[in-house]
Amino acid sequence: MAKYGMAFDYKLCINCHACEVACKEENGILLGADKHRLWIGESEPVGDFYNLARDKGGFLQHQCQQCENAPCLKACPNDAIYRDENGIIQLYESKCDLSLNCMDACPYDARYVDEKKHITDKCIFCSDTRLSRGETTTACQITCPAKVRIFGDLDDENSEISKILSQREYFTLKPEKGTEPKLFYLV
Amino acid sequence: MALRELVNKIVPIKEDFSIKSLLGFKKTPLNVLVSFMIVGLILLLVWGIAQYLMHGHHAYNVSREHPWGLLISGYIFFVGTSTGLCIIASLGHVFGIKEFNHIGKRTTLLAIITLLPGFIIILSEIGHPVTMMIYNILTPGITSAIWWMGTLYGLVLTFIILEFGFALRGDHKWAVRFGIGGLIADVAAFTTLGSVFAYLVARPIANGPFIPLYFLLTAVVAGAFFMFMIYGFKHKLNFPKEVEVTLIKLAKILGLLLVVTMFFEWWRMITAIYGGMPERADTMMKIVGSSSFWIEMLFAWAIPFVIILVSKGKAIKALFFAAIPALISIFLMRNDMVHYAQMAPMQMLKKTEYQLAPTWIEYFPSPVEWAIAVGALGVCFLLYYVAEKAFDLDEDEHH
Repeated sequence: MAKYGMAFDYKLCINCHACEVACKEENGILLGADKHRLWIGESEPVGDFYNLARDKGGFLQHQCQQCENAPCLKACPNDAIYRDENGIIQLYESKCDLSLNCMDACPYDARYVDEKKHITDKCIFCSDTRLSRGETTTACQITCPAKVRIFGDLDDENSEISKILSQREYFTLKPEKGTEPKLFYLV
Repeated sequence: MALRELVNKIVPIKEDFSIKSLLGFKKTPLNVLVSFMIVGLILLLVWGIAQYLMHGHHAYNVSREHPWGLLISGYIFFVGTSTGLCIIASLGHVFGIKEFNHIGKRTTLLAIITLLPGFIIILSEIGHPVTMMIYNILTPGITSAIWWMGTLYGLVLTFIILEFGFALRGDHKWAVRFGIGGLIADVAAFTTLGSVFAYLVARPIANGPFIPLYFLLTAVVAGAFFMFMIYGFKHKLNFPKEVEVTLIKLAKILGLLLVVTMFFEWWRMITAIYGGMPERADTMMKIVGSSSFWIEMLFAWAIPFVIILVSKGKAIKALFFAAIPALISIFLMRNDMVHYAQMAPMQMLKKTEYQLAPTWIEYFPSPVEWAIAVGALGVCFLLYYVAEKAFDLDEDEHH
């Protein structure tokens, strides 16, 4: 029993996309631009050519926000989406009817159609791969050369993520939606 | 003949109804054209469904950012028209407006035959329709608007078929009982379908109480236009006195609903733009700038309203001619509504490694989507033709 979350020291990101490759490799995600569990958002460069510049925080990591108040979970007509004992939003694959209401309900565009399994898929913190093998890290986290990602149990006050969230300021994405994400961006 | 007797025991069918009577229509150029059109539409539907079965959602132009497309709006169009027809059918035998008594059976039939193409379309949209039916019962998602909508539409179909059956048998008491049940379930079902969009906190342009109410209002408007179209064709614009009186009353109700619809649209537009809320105001500005919005305004609401206002509801022939473009505009309006709800991108920032910078999400239906959504109309017309030949739809109902 845990309450997993992830913090991002997002200004450290060098936009190498190793996390995306690692995620696809570890979790068997199909190739293709629209099939990804996570991605790096990139802010537009500012200024006029050739005097262009980019913000320090120009790269932002996106994936399922593991919302405490998850709109996808409420929207599923077959009760196929559930929260597991570790607080991760999961899917009973056999129940998914691909009505795609979960995709429309998600404010973060976190879901996509997995054409191998014919379900709507998203980030589940490598719970059926790495965590199920007893690992304590996710593929994107362990691969990141800049150590942007901190994954762990939010209920464990001695975990690295709990400590860093108690020490540093952070923000969440689209807080006005009331979804209470468990992904935190460190300022 | 045994089958005929069995069916006759359940609902009376016409003595001369047979395959021969179905094919024995007068071969006038118009009739031949309409029969070819119906066959063409059904072939289009069959081709579309075959493409879907072979290629799945790849046959559609839907995407990760725009998962719902023309089939969702086609479904909304058909079931919405059905809801409107169900409400109009109830004006006579549920609400006791006697001028509408004689149209009860035909209008209930129209409600059934517009609902069925809607179901065909949605089954072609859902990725796993069998899974949906199984788990809809085994593990209902009661917080999901889609679950309530699907369940309520199951009830609606049952109620209105029973209402129609009892009306054919002349059992007015049970027809009214199921009519009331059908009316309540239908209003609940279609407004719940509106709430599928209204619940989307992710999408400010759809979120809020507007859409369920708008759905209900436009359902009756679509149902009324459908009535003008069907009765216009049936009587070739030479309306008998009884039908004329009913259609004039219906035109007056339609006029009122069109005013309310236009005020609805106006205030939705102003309240969305006012204050400049992101994803709401800019989306509304985009909507207002689109030609399809103005087509909807003009052909679905303004022109029919002017006809009713100027003629005091008496220009029912003109309303027949206005009804067809109005229904096409309402079809486009349903598509726009679904598209506008998904137009603002959910992903923030640019993703140059994958795709272009997030901008308005573009969507235009694929030929397969058009084939299914438009082809379903063939099923509607075919069922109407068969029912017209098989059942006595005009027999007076007695209170």
